[in-house]
Amino acid sequence: MSPVNEPLTDFERNARRVLEESVARLDGRTRSRLNQARHAALEAVGRRPQAWWRSYTLMPTAGAAAALLVAVVLWHREPNVEAPMLEAHAGVVEDMDLLADSDALELMDGWDGSFYEWAASQSDANAESDG
Amino acid sequence: MSEFATLASPYSMPAALHGDVALTDDSAQTRSRALNQFLAGVELKAFKIAQASLRHEDDALDAVQDAMLQLARAYSERPAEEWKPLFYRILENRIRDMQRRRTVRGRVISWLPFRGDDDDDEMDPIAQAPSPEPQPTKRLELDQAMTALEKALGELPPRQRQAFMLRTLEGLDVAETATAMGCSQGSVKTHYFRAVQALRAQLGELYV
Repeated sequence: MSPVNEPLTDFERNARRVLEESVARLDGRTRSRLNQARHAALEAVGRRPQAWWRSYTLMPTAGAAAALLVAVVLWHREPNVEAPMLEAHAGVVEDMDLLADSDALELMDGWDGSFYEWAASQSDANAESDG
Repeated sequence: MSEFATLASPYSMPAALHGDVALTDDSAQTRSRALNQFLAGVELKAFKIAQASLRHEDDALDAVQDAMLQLARAYSERPAEEWKPLFYRILENRIRDMQRRRTVRGRVISWLPFRGDDDDDEMDPIAQAPSPEPQPTKRLELDQAMTALEKALGELPPRQRQAFMLRTLEGLDVAETATAMGCSQGSVKTHYFRAVQALRAQLGELYV
């Protein structure tokens, strides 16, 4: 069989001869190791690579799937957890709103009890005069 | 290639369809023998191709061994005609992986304050045992031609070197080379043509 689909040139024939000669002159150690490698390969006929390799290959996918599962579980549990907390702490939140209301604090700072007492007395006096 | 054509038929039908355990065992043995024959036929050339790319004997051996293992594990039940392009496809992928790893390792080592030498290979007398050789004068000519060719191949772009080695040394045709390289037949022709041009420009006087 010709190595190429066209006839070989002199140069190609010579190069091929030299390469084949270099193959023929490979040393005993190389030949022995290649022989051992071939027999090891023949013993492995039909065997698939170790399972651990597959597990390492699938590890990123498995990790992503696990993270997704955890996220889904937490997302579904969220309303059930938060609802009673809101109910239980509704009063506290209301107080916090009052404390945080700056207008209310200004009114407290400007508390004038005598004014309210005077306003109440005026109101009572007007009622008596009307009556 | 033709020796595998007669072996293709047992693999085209799954063994389980025969419904006969003994026949299944025979089929497995036949397949194993065919694979052994195939690997024995390509291993030396595959090593040479890997060595031309990696320029390191142990790395080339590792690459060929990995390619053999992967072919046996994953593709042994494919038709035997497909083995050769598949094997060289696997080998080329392995070579590319090793070259990338070597590049990264080189970058890391260049940053280290100390650099250990890997030249701890001991001299093995068996390794140095010569194979059957031609006459001394002929051998000298071949030595020079080999050295020059290996140097010139090392300077080729990887795809050109790959196309040249697969077609010239391994004897793959254009379609098989395209399968092994994972590219079109047109690309194979272009890479091969440029490789031959570059090598001829550099080695012309030694090879004509």
